[in-house]
Amino acid sequence: MDLLNTIEHNQFSQWVTNSPSVWAFPMFLFLHTAGMSIVAGGSAIIDLVLLGMWPKQPIKPLERLYPAIWVGFWVNAITGTVLLCADATAKLGSLDFYLKMGFVFAGVYVLHTMRRTVFADPLLDKGPVSRSAKLWAWASLICWFGAITAGRLLAYVGPVKGAPGANT
Amino acid sequence: MNLAHVHLLVNHFPTVGTVIALGLFLVALVSHSVDLKRAGLVVFFIISLITIPTYMSGNAAEEMLRGRPGVSTSAIEAHRNAAQLAVVFMEFTGIVSWFGLWRFRRQSNFGRATLPAVLLLSVVTLGVVGYAANIGGGIRHPEIGDSGTVVAKGTTAGSKNAPATVPEKPAAAKELEPGGIGDYVTGEKWMWPTCETLHFVGLSLLMGVVLLIDMRMLGVVKNVSFAALHRLLPWAVLGFAVNLLTGMLFFAGRSSQYTTNSVFQWKMALVILAGVNALYFTMFDETWTLKAGDDAPVMAKVMAGSALFLWIAILYCGSMLPFLGGSF
Repeated sequence: MDLLNTIEHNQFSQWVTNSPSVWAFPMFLFLHTAGMSIVAGGSAIIDLVLLGMWPKQPIKPLERLYPAIWVGFWVNAITGTVLLCADATAKLGSLDFYLKMGFVFAGVYVLHTMRRTVFADPLLDKGPVSRSAKLWAWASLICWFGAITAGRLLAYVGPVKGAPGANT
Repeated sequence: MNLAHVHLLVNHFPTVGTVIALGLFLVALVSHSVDLKRAGLVVFFIISLITIPTYMSGNAAEEMLRGRPGVSTSAIEAHRNAAQLAVVFMEFTGIVSWFGLWRFRRQSNFGRATLPAVLLLSVVTLGVVGYAANIGGGIRHPEIGDSGTVVAKGTTAGSKNAPATVPEKPAAAKELEPGGIGDYVTGEKWMWPTCETLHFVGLSLLMGVVLLIDMRMLGVVKNVSFAALHRLLPWAVLGFAVNLLTGMLFFAGRSSQYTTNSVFQWKMALVILAGVNALYFTMFDETWTLKAGDDAPVMAKVMAGSALFLWIAILYCGSMLPFLGGSF
């Protein structure tokens, strides 16, 4: 707890939490939301296509979404770390936070595996989407829906702190 | 200029616009003119977009009018309740109209059920909108309605049972909060968090499609035809519909916090522009004919760039509501 308190009360964390500047907490929160929409949205489109919402069209070109998704992911990793440091004792004391991180790590693993297996499959676009690809797509949808839900509920369950407006 | 001015400026659009669109649509049905049918659907869609600020500016006008001599409180409440129902029907009409335009682009027909559905919905919408407008006229014009007495009604929007993290309103604003569905949104413990979660899910779905289509137009995902991507547009509209519905629920629960927030007004203006932008990708020829590997025309690139800008700006305004506009 001492370590968490130290992190939470260092100069940068205090600036993020207490500064009235729009570049402090509001900007990190906005970037986190934007990154989330790119990661979850890009993944959802790939998943829906693999699940047959885009029949008779090539799937392979969608692999070009991956760089954008990874950019969104790294934006979220950085802004998420900043937001976590600013509210370390509350967030790390919340079971919901660990649930969220579980969904996020599982989602990233699924995304990575889908690229390595589904998109690298030479038979992709030469026949129906395989059953395993569809299972990966379902897993991805569940992970990102779970991550969004757990992330949003952080403001409502467990210890709630943070900057003014953070809980809306 | 304030939102009451905006309401005065736009409050006839839903009624008059629906009459014009319905008239156009009926002529199109009788004359079997495809172009007129498409024009009617476009007008319905645009009117449904304009209805959003009409409804929301109405709440701001309500806050300014309440308690003034000669203003009927009962007429205000009746007008607001009728307007809520009118917005729901209007948005349904707009979304089904958009679907007709989308389907025509793909298959050169509107589908068997689409046009009858638009006709039915628009007739009902006209009735509800006309009713709301008629009551609205009575608020400041006792000669055409009931000259009800002014009653300062102290509705509290269920704040006593609101979730702990749905912030309290200023005391002055509490008297102005709507009841009904607004009470339910703030009074039920899990309603607000559930709506927020769905709002984020809808946003992600919408952004996923916008991102892919814009990447295609800007040449990043070039080896796919636009016709293939066009098929994904209903998922974006589904995401938008989820956000519109949940956004209206937020608004019903805490209307005074939104109507006094200039960032929210920007957000609504940007949503209308983004809706018009979506029409371009839904129905225009120059994008539809793009084959895999084709370079998009300059206009399509401009529209793609502006779509990205608009949706990111909308996201920014939404995120900044508590910080720049002072809500919550």
